[in-house]
Amino acid sequence: MTTKPNKAGKIILEVVLVLLSLLFLYPLFLAVINSLKSFGEVMTDVIALPKHINFSNYAYVWEFINYPRLFLNNFIITGVGLLGIVFISSIAAYKLARTKTRWSGVLYFLCIMPMLIPFQSIMLTVLQTAKSLNMSESTWGLGLLYWGFGAPLAVFIYHGFVKGIPAEIDESATIDGASGFRLFFSVIFPLLKSVTTTIVIIDVMWIWNDFLLPLLMVNGSPSTKTLTLAAYTFVGQYTSDWQYAMTAMVMAVLPSIIVFIFLQKYIVKGVVAGAVKG
Amino acid sequence: MLKTLGRQWRERLEFGIFTLPVLICIAVAFYIPFAMTIRYSMTKWNGIAKHPKFIGLDNFRQIFSGDTNFSNAAWFTIKYAILYIVIINVLAILLAVLLDMKLKSTSWLRAAFFIPYILSLVIVGFIWKFIFMQGFNSLGESTGWSIFGLSWLGTPGLAFISILGVSIWQSIGFYLVIYIAGLQSVPEDLKEAATVDGAGPLRRFFSVTLPLLAPSITISVFMALTNSIKVFDVILSLTGGGPGGTTYSIAYDIYRDTFQNNLYGYGTAKALILFLAVLVVTIIQLTVFKRREVEA
Repeated sequence: MTTKPNKAGKIILEVVLVLLSLLFLYPLFLAVINSLKSFGEVMTDVIALPKHINFSNYAYVWEFINYPRLFLNNFIITGVGLLGIVFISSIAAYKLARTKTRWSGVLYFLCIMPMLIPFQSIMLTVLQTAKSLNMSESTWGLGLLYWGFGAPLAVFIYHGFVKGIPAEIDESATIDGASGFRLFFSVIFPLLKSVTTTIVIIDVMWIWNDFLLPLLMVNGSPSTKTLTLAAYTFVGQYTSDWQYAMTAMVMAVLPSIIVFIFLQKYIVKGVVAGAVKG
Repeated sequence: MLKTLGRQWRERLEFGIFTLPVLICIAVAFYIPFAMTIRYSMTKWNGIAKHPKFIGLDNFRQIFSGDTNFSNAAWFTIKYAILYIVIINVLAILLAVLLDMKLKSTSWLRAAFFIPYILSLVIVGFIWKFIFMQGFNSLGESTGWSIFGLSWLGTPGLAFISILGVSIWQSIGFYLVIYIAGLQSVPEDLKEAATVDGAGPLRRFFSVTLPLLAPSITISVFMALTNSIKVFDVILSLTGGGPGGTTYSIAYDIYRDTFQNNLYGYGTAKALILFLAVLVVTIIQLTVFKRREVEA
């Protein structure tokens, strides 16, 4: 068969691709090595390796931006956002998919329509709404706000999936005496596990890294900032101290990279499932 | 009769309990702000005065009758979106075809190309700013290539290319993963049949693989379109709109008008125009691509 490429060609191709991928990641490598250098070393030669490994930049940035506090903020915002999105979207999508009336169709449309509204079109008025509800300048408030922003996609994905679960399952559970939330949480929700994973992955990546909404909502006080926001303001203050800037960047992205390394398989799968559905 | 009515009401109540939370949250996040946006777009307001002043459609008239900031930003966004959509999809398909061959390092390669996508765009912008401003000096000295001596963020044309390149670098892994998934659903025997019929690799790609990739192409173009029209974060950290205001996108222009120039009414009017543009363009894109998909 001519479909099988010859062995030597395949090896060359493989080597070329691996080299290409290393070149592709080289910018990140540069960020890491320069975070380990002194100011003088960064200024004289960016591509040289650090003379000795020195974590003093990290100690400085850790202290200066209060890293543990920021990490906790990110954690609260992402956690609150995620739990809410999964909960309210799954129950609503389930009910909307199972109820076959004109109303449920209209409500479903209202739920997913906002996917077409760019955030920049409403950013000012979102901020005002949040202020009047006393939700701004608070990590919990921001987490709550993500419920609405994450819901359209989550409802869309859940809705598509629930339609594929036979309604007989609901009926037999009802005959066994379960109804309402009981039926949903002990029978339906476990069946939705793979979709839930997809939604969790897409939303964690989005909420953890989001910039504009936190900038408008929680940028006022150092105690409510997120990692990305702190890195952003930090660079603003230290425009020429690149060694600190790179350290802040590395510290801001490190959690994402660690999570990615461990959950790589699920993340790639989740993104594919989400994109194909979405 | 009474009993059935009771059941009906119980069902309605349950429907309400299940769906109200999401409806309230979406209303707070989208519909209330959106209604306010429509109202503000017809006012003149600096954010300080107690009551915005109603001026009808004057903002829109002003925007379309010669706001050079807006037309420059719109032109920038259109150029950026078209180039981004074409380049990222072509590159991602090429790379996906290579990675779809069964190589030993496939899983490493996929992870490597995907990593920038998990990073925040603002941070990606800063890392690249450092490389353009500092790193390129060192690279230029050690390689002697004049390409590193250019002012990548300081010249309008090059700054545009830099923004485009950095965005593509950050997100190509996402599109790559979608295309790999698409390629894996192309049946092997179709390709083999084409080979038996005497089709070469190129012919096989264009006549068999590419048409069957149509659903992946629809999704990827849709994602690339919606993301590129809203480009903001990477510009903010990479060039800040410079040099000389040549790299403002529409989203950035709206941000600047509302939050930096305190033109709340005027900025929201632009925001509404952005919404309509996104709506029209995505609807056109989806109908055109879906039609092609059926033919394929």
